Amino acid sequence: MSDDRHEPESNDLERRLRAALKPVNPGEGFTAGVMARVAAEPRPARRPRSPAVVSWLAFGLAASVVLAVLLAHEWQVRRIEQGREARRQLIEALRVTDEKLNLAYRVVNSRQDAAPAQHSGA
Amino acid sequence: MSGDGECTGGDLLRRALAGERAAFGALVRTHQRMVFSLALRMLRDRHAAEDLAQEVFLQLYRSLSAVSSEAHLAFWLRKVTAHRAIDRLRREPRLEMAPLEEAQLSAGEAHSRDPILERRLRSLVAQLPPAARAVMLLRYQEDLDPADIARTLRMPVNTVKSHLKRSLAELRERMTSSGALT
Repeated sequence: MSDDRHEPESNDLERRLRAALKPVNPGEGFTAGVMARVAAEPRPARRPRSPAVVSWLAFGLAASVVLAVLLAHEWQVRRIEQGREARRQLIEALRVTDEKLNLAYRVVNSRQDAAPAQHSGA
Repeated sequence: MSGDGECTGGDLLRRALAGERAAFGALVRTHQRMVFSLALRMLRDRHAAEDLAQEVFLQLYRSLSAVSSEAHLAFWLRKVTAHRAIDRLRREPRLEMAPLEEAQLSAGEAHSRDPILERRLRSLVAQLPPAARAVMLLRYQEDLDPADIARTLRMPVNTVKSHLKRSLAELRERMTSSGALT
């Protein structure tokens, strides 16, 4: 706060200023006076949410909505894939059944064709 | 802090914010010395200082929801007290004209090592222009650094440093010329 020439004096002055300007107490009834005036006041409103809190809440809400949309989309895709897989399995099962039936049909037909020939030969 | 001895300032602030008037009373007791001393040394009149200090605490009660921490509370109180005192001096110039009160000059002498010199210093500080006086009080009563003083008084740091330098030079010169300092 001062040039070099005054440094020691300034430090001494500053020390003395700190001692001279020590805080002092108000009168005895000060707190009571404040509280009497406070008692006449309506209760102050509760602390409003600070802009930072509000923006964090908005961010959290937006993030939740995005997450919910993504999860719903993922669930939908899985359901479609499960449906396709079920359809594929059903078609495969029908195809196998069809083959078996054809095979059985051919076996039955071939036996029926062979039976009259044996009768006529006898 | 009778009855609140186990509470930290942060606890008191939270309870006061929740609407507990006893906690607000404890906050007043904690900070009244600082607020009153700033007001007294700015206004140079004990009654005006008590009135201003009460108004500061009443304003605090009304806007308590804007205070976020104990440190913010001390900053808020210093800022509002200094600004209110400077405004009051502008509105009531008679406070600047009035002779210094004996009570104001002798305040804090009970434990003084050099009461005459300290009284002389208080008198000289009280005669500084209001802005320079506020800067000196925040520096030497509240022990704030220039950056904090600048934030409290909403003035550039260089202006604060310049006030401090000029005020110290003036005090040194006047103390030296009166023989109080060698």
